[in-house]
Amino acid sequence: MHMADALLSPAVGGVFWLASAGIIGYSSRKITEEKEQVSVKTPLMGVMGAFVFAAQMINFTIPGTGSSGHLGGGLILAAMLGPCRAFITLASVLVIQCLFFADGGLLALGCNIFNLAFFPAFIAYPFIYKVIAGKSLNSGRLAVASVTAAEAGLLMGAFSVVVQTSFSGISELPFGTFILFMMPIHFAIGIVEGLATWGVLQFVAKTQPVLLFDTGKASYPAMLITAFAVAAVALGGFISWFASSRPDGLEWATMKAAGIEELADAGDKIHRFTAEVQDKLAFFPDYSLGRVSERECPGAVAPVKLATTIAGTTGGVFAFLVVGALGLLLGKRKQSRKCWRKLKK
Amino acid sequence: MLEETEKVIMPREQNIHESFIPDVNHRALIIVWSFFVFFVLTLGKYDFSGVLAYAAFPLFVVLAGNMPVKTILKRLVLLSPFIIMVAAANPFFDRRPFLSLGEITLTAGTVSGIVIVGKSFVLITAIITLSTIVPFHRLCDALRGFRVPEVFITQLLLLCRYSFLLVEEATALQKARSMRSFGGNGKEFFTTAKMIGSLLLRANERGERIYRGMLARGFNGTVHHAGAEPLRCKDVLFVAGSVMLFAGIRVIV
Repeated sequence: MHMADALLSPAVGGVFWLASAGIIGYSSRKITEEKEQVSVKTPLMGVMGAFVFAAQMINFTIPGTGSSGHLGGGLILAAMLGPCRAFITLASVLVIQCLFFADGGLLALGCNIFNLAFFPAFIAYPFIYKVIAGKSLNSGRLAVASVTAAEAGLLMGAFSVVVQTSFSGISELPFGTFILFMMPIHFAIGIVEGLATWGVLQFVAKTQPVLLFDTGKASYPAMLITAFAVAAVALGGFISWFASSRPDGLEWATMKAAGIEELADAGDKIHRFTAEVQDKLAFFPDYSLGRVSERECPGAVAPVKLATTIAGTTGGVFAFLVVGALGLLLGKRKQSRKCWRKLKK
Repeated sequence: MLEETEKVIMPREQNIHESFIPDVNHRALIIVWSFFVFFVLTLGKYDFSGVLAYAAFPLFVVLAGNMPVKTILKRLVLLSPFIIMVAAANPFFDRRPFLSLGEITLTAGTVSGIVIVGKSFVLITAIITLSTIVPFHRLCDALRGFRVPEVFITQLLLLCRYSFLLVEEATALQKARSMRSFGGNGKEFFTTAKMIGSLLLRANERGERIYRGMLARGFNGTVHHAGAEPLRCKDVLFVAGSVMLFAGIRVIV
């Protein structure tokens, strides 16, 4: 369920980068404050993060389907390390996945940390798992807590993916259709994840129950404030998308004074050139962000000029080939230098 | 997959000094790559020529840096099903005519779908090149320079160190189970959960052993380091030059 760079607009990606960075900062501060546990649990966090990787290598058969699945591990980390440490551990796993396996992407990292680490660690664990399971090691309560919390964490993450994709405007999938497509799939995955989590937690509860107790007390009011702050930042970013399409104050004044919304171009060459450069470099033209404007898709009404499109594509291919050839030459030159040095030795 | 990455990425660390990239601060490299991602993502929804032009940058880095092209291509083939699903849906939801080639008319949705896949290829290659050029511990040093909390950096370093060890252990467990299981026996849901549980307990014990070992070597909660390298004038020039190059591509194409 990794969000991908190619489906994100920089505005949405940026908002979630800030949100995730804020939660990493908050969690790190909380961990540093637990002075007596800092050094004890730090190596454990590293090894538990590695455990998530390792556990994902072991597949199991999903009953009744014939297919196989693997453990996600977010909830297990939260049950063993507490919310803040689990969040940091999951975030670090996602950073490694992004850099070494190119899962998601640099901009999507913020979204992925928010979707896959924030919900299980800060929502599903303290508000669902802990409430249902408490400190009980009863198998039934563990089962209900694990399945419900894993399901809730996964569904919230999937919903967040749909919201991020829809707000980015890169996908044409309507919000309703996308939700209908994503939620049932993740509901089924959530049940499997919940049952697998229950299986592992039950095993740990029977063999080393002390590992399941979260000794660190999370301060929920502060955590809630963080969650609300994150939501406020996200909403602030999103609501600005629906900024009024009516003219702003200056445009209104211009319109009243000159009878037109925007003043006409002077028409000289320099003005036209700078306008063209500005148009090319405009990352958020008219605040349209990821949404399609008529300017972006002139063919929406009539097919675009074939000659212009072919010229543009040829230019792109040409640049691709020329720079690629340069790279190849540089690489070969470097290799031949290495061989020469070896021969000299 | 992790083993394959180890083979591909880790040996490259030895070649860093021979890299074609000038001697610049790793923070500057991260900034340049981030700008590249930003420029690619702000391309128009239908700007296929732009995607092609920006693809030249990772292609140049791959070829000039003698990076393993086959491995990168293999990774590109494993495109996320989520991206494929979203890209494949676009032609169904946006049927407006976009480009006519004789009798064939490409719809806007088809073009935007192709652009999504193209951008994914370019950005995945870009990330692979960054992680190949910058060794992981240097990347962590660079993160220190960006004021990332020390707890998070220590976690990243420990995770990277122990991932390979635990993955080896998990692979051995998986292999042992496969050798003893016939017709899928022993691969059932709850049997595997117990197996993962025992791996978890082993990981925990390993964590305690590591902690004792680290304490004996003077560990006090954070890993000792030399501090982040300061940004020099040439690093700033490198970033500025690269950004101007990316902007230039945008203006020309």
